[in-house]
Amino acid sequence: MRLMRRFLRDIGSKYTLNEVINLNNKRFTSTVKSPLDLTELVYTGTYLGQNRQRFEPSSILLQKLAQEPDTHKVYLDRDTAWLFVVGKDIFEENILDRSDDVRLGGYCLVMFGEQCIGYGRYETSRDLRVVKNLFDLGDFLRREQE
Amino acid sequence: MSGLEWFIERYWALGSNLSGDEKTPQAIRINPLKTTGTELLDILSWQGVKLEKISFLDYGYKVIESPFSLGASIEYLLGLYSLQETASQYPTQALAPSPNDRVLDMASAPGGKTTQAAAYMQNKGVIVAIDINRDRLYATENNVERCGVTNTSIYHLDALSLPDIPAFSKILLDAPCSGNYTTDNHWFKKRTEKDIERNAELQKRLLTKALNLLESGGTLAYSTCSLEPEENELNIQWLLENHDVRLEQLDGPGSPALTTIFDAKLDDQISHCRRFWPDQTGTQGFFVAKVVKH
Repeated sequence: MRLMRRFLRDIGSKYTLNEVINLNNKRFTSTVKSPLDLTELVYTGTYLGQNRQRFEPSSILLQKLAQEPDTHKVYLDRDTAWLFVVGKDIFEENILDRSDDVRLGGYCLVMFGEQCIGYGRYETSRDLRVVKNLFDLGDFLRREQE
Repeated sequence: MSGLEWFIERYWALGSNLSGDEKTPQAIRINPLKTTGTELLDILSWQGVKLEKISFLDYGYKVIESPFSLGASIEYLLGLYSLQETASQYPTQALAPSPNDRVLDMASAPGGKTTQAAAYMQNKGVIVAIDINRDRLYATENNVERCGVTNTSIYHLDALSLPDIPAFSKILLDAPCSGNYTTDNHWFKKRTEKDIERNAELQKRLLTKALNLLESGGTLAYSTCSLEPEENELNIQWLLENHDVRLEQLDGPGSPALTTIFDAKLDDQISHCRRFWPDQTGTQGFFVAKVVKH
């Protein structure tokens, strides 16, 4: 929970965590009531994300956070968005727009239109300002290859 | 018995004209939980993707041409569509789950039909998705997440181990089967008559389990991607002879299922099911039955 709370705070979310279920280090909220009493549950309801080196939000959580007006966001065009989902960092000059609350050293959602494709940290790297890729939806493709 | 010639002769004896080298075009299914068809089609068209609506599917499009891999686009990663072969989109559509249903997906991996059911249910009701193979269940988890599905619980279980409690209003049994050659280049070298017999026996056990889990008046969609009658019409004949069920008429794609198999006459109701011959439908081989429990 600590890593998830920190992630939510860092990107400016007011998302409320209610009754989080932990399954194999993955976090869920769920109102799904199985009509049978079964064991070996591996996934239920709304998947929020999992802890690895840092909290890795689910695609479902990212889309929820994208709808919050106060979350920190940077916006990319299609070509740059594709570079981001294949794991690249984004140079400042390739950012189309950003919310006022994106500050150097802070975290932000990375947006393609109204959709969130991941998150990163706005920082300086070798005298250049970049959004460092911390998590992106290309993770689905990487999981398929595992 | 096995090999291309043996199988093709069997198919001819069943009334087909298959050559053994039919292939299936790629197809996608739009995810109405996340997008409208028009919106997505405009985006894909702008990127040079040519699609053709599949007349008998609610959300299915045949891929005519694409300048990039449709399994690796931003829209795919956002869950706006899934890759799902044409015929395999039909069983869930035939089952027609609604927001009030309690649905069991008995062999859910890799999750295409699970996410399709969730879309029909508008993310309401309940889906219990299970599979015996843990490695393949990861794909179900990923697809459920990617498509924004929130009404589903996934269990790593053998369907045959479930308790015999009639708890579900609708059940999808896309049964483990022998497959077919249109999606597997080496199929003819791998499959034998013994495989078919073994699969047919397992399918009978799964059918019985499904009916034990289905409430009275509930509906079961049974499907395979096999062309072999032992896994299709003959299993449904067995079902009619051993359980209190009836078959609902399915219309649209494919042809009525066979009621004469190698000179054996089957129940006429079996013609309510649909059989997909690849040379006639331009899809993979497939079979779908809609069974109602009395």
